[in-house]
Amino acid sequence: MIRLENVTMTYGTDVVAVREASFDVPKGEFVFLVGPSGSGKSTLLRLLNREERPSHGSVWVAGRNIADMPSGRVPHLRRNIGNIFQDYKLLPNKTVFENVAFAQQVIGKPKHVIRQQVPAVLEIVGLQDKHERFPNQLSGGEQQRVSIARAFVNRPLIMLADEPTGNLDPGTGEGIMRLLDRINETGTTVLMATHDQRIVNAMRKRVIQLDRGVIVRDQARGVYD
Amino acid sequence: MWSRITYTLRETWASFKRNVTLTVAAIITSAVALLIFGLTLLMQQGFDNLLALWEDDVEMVVYVRAQASEPQREVLEGEMERQQGITIDSWEYCDVDCSLDVKDRVLAGSPEIRDRLDENTNPTFYRVVPTEGTDLAELQSLAAALVGVPSVISVNLAEDEIDLIDRLKDFVGQYTFFLSLFLLFAAVLLIWNTIRTAMYARRREIEVMKAVGATDWFIRLPFMLEGLVQGMLGGLVACGALWFINGRWTNGVAEFPISSSFQAMVVGGGDVVTTCGILMGIGALVGAIGSGIAVSRFLDV
Repeated sequence: MIRLENVTMTYGTDVVAVREASFDVPKGEFVFLVGPSGSGKSTLLRLLNREERPSHGSVWVAGRNIADMPSGRVPHLRRNIGNIFQDYKLLPNKTVFENVAFAQQVIGKPKHVIRQQVPAVLEIVGLQDKHERFPNQLSGGEQQRVSIARAFVNRPLIMLADEPTGNLDPGTGEGIMRLLDRINETGTTVLMATHDQRIVNAMRKRVIQLDRGVIVRDQARGVYD
Repeated sequence: MWSRITYTLRETWASFKRNVTLTVAAIITSAVALLIFGLTLLMQQGFDNLLALWEDDVEMVVYVRAQASEPQREVLEGEMERQQGITIDSWEYCDVDCSLDVKDRVLAGSPEIRDRLDENTNPTFYRVVPTEGTDLAELQSLAAALVGVPSVISVNLAEDEIDLIDRLKDFVGQYTFFLSLFLLFAAVLLIWNTIRTAMYARRREIEVMKAVGATDWFIRLPFMLEGLVQGMLGGLVACGALWFINGRWTNGVAEFPISSSFQAMVVGGGDVVTTCGILMGIGALVGAIGSGIAVSRFLDV
């Protein structure tokens, strides 16, 4: 599903964010990207989302090298990728339903499809009773659930999560992880950048550790350290 | 497709409401710039009306009595033939219909005066093109000779009229043209700034749209449409103002003395409609340029 081959990402002339990174992620795998701040976790996610092009190397997503993908094809690539953010990035003037529906509206899904799929995904994240609420009427955990629903509503092949539990208390974070695990069980590949040692140790999934842009560990059923 | 169209229109309208102050400022600036440009065009048309008699290198117009007979005109033409190749290169007779057509343009602002003119009261005339190199003194001497012919009412020399009108036309045309260009540039900057502000206000929405795979054009279109509509609304306001000013001018000029020649400076409704079309087109162009630059500069999709 994802393959990186000798990927180097340099900002300017001398800031190396990722150095000679190579790894494969098969379809349906759950992978944690761990490492200290500035180690290159978020840069790797941006490379997979084609927000950045690598300075060297190839980035393969769903069988295509996206490093040399024309800009016009990038939106179609992103329809196969769900993004979850630490700060949720919900639209404050839209309800829960509208926030999730927005992801379908902007890619031209017809209204009857939206009316059918949004309630279904809200049920998966457990917010079917709160679809008319605005983000400021929800807790942090609920807001992150809306963000996950928005990322998942188009049934992407891959979910990229950048510190999704970073703003949540441990109990709420665990609920979010259970939700991501359920989504992973449907066959969606999940890559999650995190600092949360407790969660990584509890989940026992594959761990890729980065240090100053270099992959220093790639361990199946790994722990944080 | 329909949902995308309604989305684009809804977002454009929402953005209008969100930035109402800047939007109104952009529309007013475009309208003022376009109004000045429109007035320039109408004034040029008015000056062209004044110069209607002097087109195609005509330097002299010989007016003949309304009811001059064929033999009387033959005497005049005989006089001119004697000068052909010496001071006169060619001439053209503007008969009753032709001279009434000219009066239609020149007296567009005074229809009641035009209505009084017919084949019995309106003088016909000859447009005379002098040979190359004929100087003013020779033309004046020729005019003096022709004015003595019995059927001739008067002889007007271009030198006396064209220079003044041309100078006035150039003066007014250049200053108003550059002023309107300057203001149009200000309108482009204002629309550019309005669109930039609109994009800033919706930056999170844009970020989400990019993340879920909206195409570049889907994101850009509401902003470009907003700029386009601002420019066109500016054009529409300018058209309304132009129509009003032209109406007031037409009514005002009707009270001026005929000898003032201001009647020729009145422009008919057809020309105003054409000018309005031009203003709407330029307004749309200004809006498209302003929003196009803003979108390509600030929307990294």
